[in-house]
Amino acid sequence: MARARVQRLRTAVLVAGAVLLAKRAMRRRIDASPLWPMPALDEPVSGRGRSSTVTRRVLVTARSEPADGVVRLRLEGTGLPDWQPGAHIDLVLPSGTVRQYSLCGDPAERDAYTIATRLVGAGQGGRGGSREVHEQVHVGTELEIRGPRNRFPLAPAPSYVFVAGGIGITPILPMVRAAEAAGADWRLLYCGRSRASMPFLDEVGETAERVTVVAEDEDGRPDLSFLAGLPEATEVHCCGPEGLMDAVGAAMPEGRVARFERFSAALTAPGTAFEVELRRTGRTLAVPADRSVLSVVREAVPGVLYSCRQGFCGTCRQRVLDGEVDHRDELLTDAERTDSMLICVSRCAGERLVLDL
Amino acid sequence: MGFTGQYIDGMSNTQPVPVASEHIELKARKVSFDWERTPLHWVPGDPFTTHTINVLHLLLPAGERWFVHVYKQVLPYITDERLRADVIGFIGQEAVHSQAHDDVLPHLRKLGLDPTPYTAQVDWFFEKLLGDRTLPPGRPRRWWLMERVALIAAIEHYTAFLGNWVLNAEELDRVGADPVMLDLLRWHGAEEVEHRSVAFELFLHLDGGYRRRARTWAAAFSALVFLWQRGVRFFMENDPTVLDARPSVAQFVRKGREGVLPSTPDMLRSIPRYLSRSYHPSQEGCTAQAAAYLASSPGANGGRI
Repeated sequence: MARARVQRLRTAVLVAGAVLLAKRAMRRRIDASPLWPMPALDEPVSGRGRSSTVTRRVLVTARSEPADGVVRLRLEGTGLPDWQPGAHIDLVLPSGTVRQYSLCGDPAERDAYTIATRLVGAGQGGRGGSREVHEQVHVGTELEIRGPRNRFPLAPAPSYVFVAGGIGITPILPMVRAAEAAGADWRLLYCGRSRASMPFLDEVGETAERVTVVAEDEDGRPDLSFLAGLPEATEVHCCGPEGLMDAVGAAMPEGRVARFERFSAALTAPGTAFEVELRRTGRTLAVPADRSVLSVVREAVPGVLYSCRQGFCGTCRQRVLDGEVDHRDELLTDAERTDSMLICVSRCAGERLVLDL
Repeated sequence: MGFTGQYIDGMSNTQPVPVASEHIELKARKVSFDWERTPLHWVPGDPFTTHTINVLHLLLPAGERWFVHVYKQVLPYITDERLRADVIGFIGQEAVHSQAHDDVLPHLRKLGLDPTPYTAQVDWFFEKLLGDRTLPPGRPRRWWLMERVALIAAIEHYTAFLGNWVLNAEELDRVGADPVMLDLLRWHGAEEVEHRSVAFELFLHLDGGYRRRARTWAAAFSALVFLWQRGVRFFMENDPTVLDARPSVAQFVRKGREGVLPSTPDMLRSIPRYLSRSYHPSQEGCTAQAAAYLASSPGANGGRI
């Protein structure tokens, strides 16, 4: 009896001692390095934050009218992300309306963005966004913004032709400055209805040799025939009304494409018809102007993945093997856009897309 | 807590019984949050509570990305059209949750608390340990897929529990917690309550075995406790403003009693509920309350409310 009790006691003491020792060793190990002992991914995926769900508050600190019917706003905030020429932001107006505006200030300026907007009346197809900016937004107004995003980046090239129409000068302006700073060979054709309605004429250096200003009331329609003789390495960037962009597209030499920035009015428009080839399925489908790539592809590939159908959840992302994408989503980073697209909203900027599907 | 469980009388108690009125069509919502004014200790003066909840931002970006990854593989096996639509809605909601929590991390870094050492481990946990293994096709591959589907169902039991808790955690408002962070948590919580049945119904549809349910519950619960306490320790240790970082279970129990964290007894009581043979997620939480919050959430309505 007594022996058994001593035995039991000894076991208990031994176990307790072992537990205490193990606990102390663990504690010391954890204190030395709280994250021991789990492996980590070499290139972490989380924590980089693509900012697709982040809004920022900015304060309107300056408001001016650089041309008839055009308002320029300076938006100041803290911790504003860097941007490249061609970028735009989503501006959440006091009514909750969201509109996209190209940044036209200096990318080197860290705590402020500059945008400009032209008043588009209801008679000209305006939807009230620009009217709200003109009537409701003043110095001291606080606004929310999302972005910036860039679906109109400056393509690396030794020489450029820029074509801007009216308020379409806004994304072109920082591009011209960047091309000049990089020592590139560039030309700017800036068109508008009248000189009084064309903003930033002095900023672009109207008298400079590289700049041609065409005001329709004085000079008539711009002559785009020079595009036919475009040197091989020259990239064309164009932003302006649909008519101007169509004309530039048509004036391009055979086999060459210009880069366009389409305004938000065009974004909600259905777009053009094109073809999509599903390389692995081995089928080519026609996407009509009024349907999404997703809805057409779903008929051929019933199991194709999707969820939100509005370009923000990312479920329908597909790899693009060939063709130029007209990205309309609000999620993918510029790097991701080089070889993939969200087929629920994005379309083709040309006539044919090839998907790895 | 505002637990509004509903049970249907007169039914067998060995079968999961869904509450029909709790079903709702699921869709992903576009959200946006402005973190600029959110302080490091967004529960004022209470780093322990702040960081205990902050662990969500460490686990969810990788975790919910993993849910989506697994469910994308499961879709072809679903034969019920309504469930398929639910899973598609679920995938979109989870994808947005993952992005929204991930977008908090750069803000924490800006405030002096770099989460990357920890999130890199969580990334490994979900992408490698629980990722696609090179298994022979056929039974082994299907086994691993079903095991993960069951794990997700068990984890969703807890996300729904936490979602229901945060929707009713009025104490957080009283202590002056940051409104933007509360909105993120409540929008997320409300969507978790809204879609709380999907993961479990998918598990029932594809497998539903009780032994698998119990086994994966044990694995999910231990993993959550392990990762969570580690995350709290990591944050407290690396928080530049906290000098005496000694998080403890006692502290957790006390904060639960105060109402700024889920109460420990409530958490313990939720264990047998999931393990009960008649469990169905629609019996817990309240879809109407979730829908009401979603309709009034500033983040889910473009910051306009």
